[in-house]
Amino acid sequence: MLKTLIYKELKMIIASPKFTATFGTCAVLILLSIFIGIQEYRGAVRQYETAVQLNDQEMAESTSWGSFDTRVFRQPDPMQIFVSGIHYDVGRMTGISRWEEIKLRRSNYSDDPIFAVFRFIDFTFIVQIALSLLAILFTYDAINGEREQGTLKLTFANPVPKVTYILSKFIGAWLGLVIPLLIPILIGLLLVMLYNLPLTGVHWAKIITMLGFSLLFFTFFIAFGLMVSALTRSSSSSFLILLVAWVTLVLIIPRAGVMLAGQVQSVPTVAEIESKHAKFSQERWDQHSALISERYEKRNAAMEGLSPEDREAYEEEKMWSWMEEDDAEMKNVQADISEYGRKLQEDLRNRRAAQEKLAFLLSRVSPASAYQLAMMNLAATDINLKNRYEDAMRDYRTAFNGFVNKKLEDSGQHGGFRISISSETGVNIDTGDIDTKSLDLSEVPRFEDPRHSYSAAITPAMTDLALLIFFTLIAFAGAFSGFIRYDVR
Amino acid sequence: MTTPENTPETIQPMMATRNLSKRYEDGVLALDSLDLSVNPGQIYAMLGGNGAGKTTTINLFLNFIDPTEGEAIVDGIITHQEPLKAKAKIAYVSENVMLYPNFTALQNLDYFSHLGGKTSYSAEDYQKVLLRVGLQEEAHDKKLRSYSKGMRQKCGIAIAILKDAPAILLDEPTSGLDPKAGMEFINLLQDLRDEGKAILMSTHDIFRAKQVADIVGIMNAGKLVAEKQREELVGEDLEKLYVEYMTGYMDTAVQATDASVTVG
Ligand SMILES: Nc1ncnc2c1ncn2[C@@H]1O[C@H](COP(=O)(O)OP(=O)(O)OP(=O)(O)O)[C@@H](O)[C@H]1O
Ligand SMILES: [Mg+2]
Repeated sequence: MLKTLIYKELKMIIASPKFTATFGTCAVLILLSIFIGIQEYRGAVRQYETAVQLNDQEMAESTSWGSFDTRVFRQPDPMQIFVSGIHYDVGRMTGISRWEEIKLRRSNYSDDPIFAVFRFIDFTFIVQIALSLLAILFTYDAINGEREQGTLKLTFANPVPKVTYILSKFIGAWLGLVIPLLIPILIGLLLVMLYNLPLTGVHWAKIITMLGFSLLFFTFFIAFGLMVSALTRSSSSSFLILLVAWVTLVLIIPRAGVMLAGQVQSVPTVAEIESKHAKFSQERWDQHSALISERYEKRNAAMEGLSPEDREAYEEEKMWSWMEEDDAEMKNVQADISEYGRKLQEDLRNRRAAQEKLAFLLSRVSPASAYQLAMMNLAATDINLKNRYEDAMRDYRTAFNGFVNKKLEDSGQHGGFRISISSETGVNIDTGDIDTKSLDLSEVPRFEDPRHSYSAAITPAMTDLALLIFFTLIAFAGAFSGFIRYDVR
Repeated sequence: MTTPENTPETIQPMMATRNLSKRYEDGVLALDSLDLSVNPGQIYAMLGGNGAGKTTTINLFLNFIDPTEGEAIVDGIITHQEPLKAKAKIAYVSENVMLYPNFTALQNLDYFSHLGGKTSYSAEDYQKVLLRVGLQEEAHDKKLRSYSKGMRQKCGIAIAILKDAPAILLDEPTSGLDPKAGMEFINLLQDLRDEGKAILMSTHDIFRAKQVADIVGIMNAGKLVAEKQREELVGEDLEKLYVEYMTGYMDTAVQATDASVTVG
């Protein structure tokens, strides 16, 4: 019985005129997205390699450990082909030196406008937008359409259990849509293999998991479409309801969640932070100069009434301690200012984290958000991409600077430069370089991109997995209970 | 052919209703304690105006709706208690047969035969039955969307025949059939009766009802107001009788009492 029903569903789906059109569109979109993704990835790799080479060359040309610095780059990851996530919004390089903070800059590898157009049509986008629509298009009239057509009555004049029937609708739609869609997906993966992209076992495990998530998301929309179809009498009303629900779930909630979180949990802008910082430092320096002038008044007062000779002697004697005193005070001010800046940054990071958490919590009401977040986590193009890189780069900076400092010590050089003025030699700028031979770079630590293991990918996606399963089961239960009570006339 | 008059005690009716009543959600009492029975090898024709409750009766047999009171019984099975078992014994043709427009007649027949539990038919079997109901061979492989109403009706009748069920429910089966097809259908019904099927049909065609039915029941406002055996109709003008019962029932209480006496 079930077999007969499923077989008929399959025939109906595949023979329907809308199938050819929609399936063709989706297949082309999937293949195009993967193909363009591959091209863009390869372009990014070329740029990355050139940039690294150029940097190596520059390093090789430097002659002084004192002015030795480098740059590190974010390596392109083939996973960005499927899920671009925030990949394009995060900077791709940072300078590494003793006087520069880590800051990822230049957020896009590719300057080709065609990629800018297709950028966001990645595999995830297609599943999220196109395939969910496809699922709705093939299920919105699954039940009520048969009623309107009159075939439901004749079907249930036969000993057909309602549970079997709704199950066949579900399985039929699933098989009828998933199997054809697997074809372009598999071709796409084959393309990825043909281009010989550096995909590791972990990558493949992630890709397979991503495929699983995509199928689960698709399954939700099939169950959801069936549910609405089984809860309404006419296919025009179920179509309208599903369209509104789709817009809400896929387009509105993911954005509204973020916007609402922005309202509830405000995060200062970079400009605000900077102006706050500038104001503090201004105040602190004002305070400092007031202090210094007060100090000078005191010092002058102490010298009141002394003869010019005594005064000179006194000044000569006190000179160094005064200088030390002033220097210490200045260092104090600098320390205060940088401490304040650190606090501001920490506060910003905390607030951002709280806002993100709230935004994700709110937007996960929709399976579309849960799906996207899971996919980004799996592909390592998630919201933490920047932090992961900055942490790794900071670690690298410590190692790099440690190495350079050691070299400086070993060679007796000093960092920075010294300007000496003498009547014999004139102005002499000493950068500390004794010889101008090129440096031995064999021991310079190399930057390694942060690893993103399978467990690091799947752990945060577990919440989304649970949510997607939950949503799907609810839709199922709704479809079942709606249809058990359905009047087939 | 066995008629109930010969051996009234030994034959169990194939279809029967007991005190069957249906009140719809909006309060309309569509069926009011209906009692009727159809034996194997009998054709029961339900007559009655629009809204008399004929379709409601048939829907109750198929458990499309639940009775408010009483029960419909098929081969001893109470339909609302064991609907699947009951439906296995019923073949059904609706007043407007609707099939899958994207499938051909043969595909539709195959699908519904499988649902009816008949899985061993061959394409020739389907073709034979289609020819028997008067569908020309060139139409068999055409999609149903190109069919006329009458052609669809024939297809529906073919599906009912193929199910080979002991009870047959027909809701205005001849609606949309041309005169020739209507006549062929009457012959078909007689064949089925001779095979021992119990047939319950609703119709507005008094002439055909008289021609083919073993029992004619006249319904009005959810009640069975008259029931005539074939023998009682010989020489009677059924049309006159029908109008008499319909108007009489509505006009005077006296005649209504007469009617219920006839029923009892
Ligand atoms: N789903 C429903 N909800 C409410 N009332 C209904 C419903 N279906 C039928 N009725 C009412 O029940 C009564 C009997 O209807 P039914 O369809 O059984 O009549 P019928 O004898 O088949 O008429 P016709 O000859 O026009 O087919 C009518 O008054 C009708 O309005
Ligand atoms: Mg009717």
